[in-house]
Amino acid sequence: MNTPADHRHDDLRHAEYVLGVLDADARAAVEQEIRDDPHAAAAVTEWQRRLIPLADDVGDVAPAPYVWVRIRDALRLDTRARSQSPASLWDNLRLWRWLGIGASVVAAACVVVMLGTPNPASAPSTRRAGYMASSIEQDNGVTGWTATMDLQHARMIVVPATPAAFAQGRAPELWLIPPGSKPISLGVIARDRPTSIALPPALLAHVEADALLAVSVEPAGGSPTGQPTGPVIAKGVIGGA
Amino acid sequence: MNADSPTGRDELTQLLIRTGHSDQQAFAELYRRTSSKLFGVCLRMLRTRSAAEEVLQETYLTVWRRAASFDVTRASAITWLVTLARNKAIDRLRQHHEEQLDNPLKLEETADDHPTPAAHTETSQEHQRLQHCLDALEPRQRHAVREAFFTGATYNELAARCEVPLGTMKSWIRRSLLQLRTCLER
Repeated sequence: MNTPADHRHDDLRHAEYVLGVLDADARAAVEQEIRDDPHAAAAVTEWQRRLIPLADDVGDVAPAPYVWVRIRDALRLDTRARSQSPASLWDNLRLWRWLGIGASVVAAACVVVMLGTPNPASAPSTRRAGYMASSIEQDNGVTGWTATMDLQHARMIVVPATPAAFAQGRAPELWLIPPGSKPISLGVIARDRPTSIALPPALLAHVEADALLAVSVEPAGGSPTGQPTGPVIAKGVIGGA
Repeated sequence: MNADSPTGRDELTQLLIRTGHSDQQAFAELYRRTSSKLFGVCLRMLRTRSAAEEVLQETYLTVWRRAASFDVTRASAITWLVTLARNKAIDRLRQHHEEQLDNPLKLEETADDHPTPAAHTETSQEHQRLQHCLDALEPRQRHAVREAFFTGATYNELAARCEVPLGTMKSWIRRSLLQLRTCLER
């Protein structure tokens, strides 16, 4: 029969479990107890109610955007299930900031957001403002990379969503394919970290809705012919961000 | 969004219940509203973004699969979510226990552990009551409890970090937990 001392000892173990001070074996024992004994489960829940509010003392930290992409892909959710409000430039600003492109880009983009128009003094008529994006998906529907294009600053950021394995001496090369045209190389991209690509005016002119982005497997230095030579492993349509 | 305001809480509860019915939009919105809080907790415990990202991902995969088992009569949505994230972070810490022993972490007080007065006023009633009860503890014991909660350290690790015998650390923590329970039931 349980004595009050046993009860006190049990309750302390549940508290220690919730606080997080038990070693792996002791944690496993409490978890087994939670599964087997409703009273133990209730006691643990009660300690969670008491102690978890302490988490309010930890500052919020926004995770990188690709974490949601990975979750969505792992669960094979509809890609329309967005974790962000639609049509929000702010998402892209967070992305830029996270990528560490530089405060000046963020500041300039903030001005664009606040004024709602590009700065007329520094925007020749050939320049465009705004962002475009593409989810570059593998054949199995899993996003391989996400590309975001900052039109005003003529840059594209390509972020790997799912690190891909490549054979020795092989690398992913990114291609821009305007509707009805041949692929234009955007260069070899990293498979495990973001790649920033400058878009000179000749390329920028082809960054438009319905153009495709594709990734092919090429020799480490890039395709020797200027056209894809290896298999295309991922592709995506460019659309408005 | 404020997860601690009454409306914010009700909305989170609704989102979690809808997630339990496989509502993808609700799940996406739940992630949008809670991922920064959970990521902060994971990052504090695991200390590297890559480890915290992996645990955050595992946490939300589990949220999607287990949301149907969320019982609104037993816990608030945010408590349920934070508990899930902490448990996964602690499991990971225990798995990497050996590496940690090779590379001992230094005891440090970060700014995170001491909210600014402004942040404090925004926190939940539950948090304010807990804070009040923590304030009643002896300072070194209070510090040990907070260090344990935020870092997920074992008794052994805490004793080493605070440079006290294991027995002393156990009695500090246990006494503190009993004192907190009494104070919170008042």
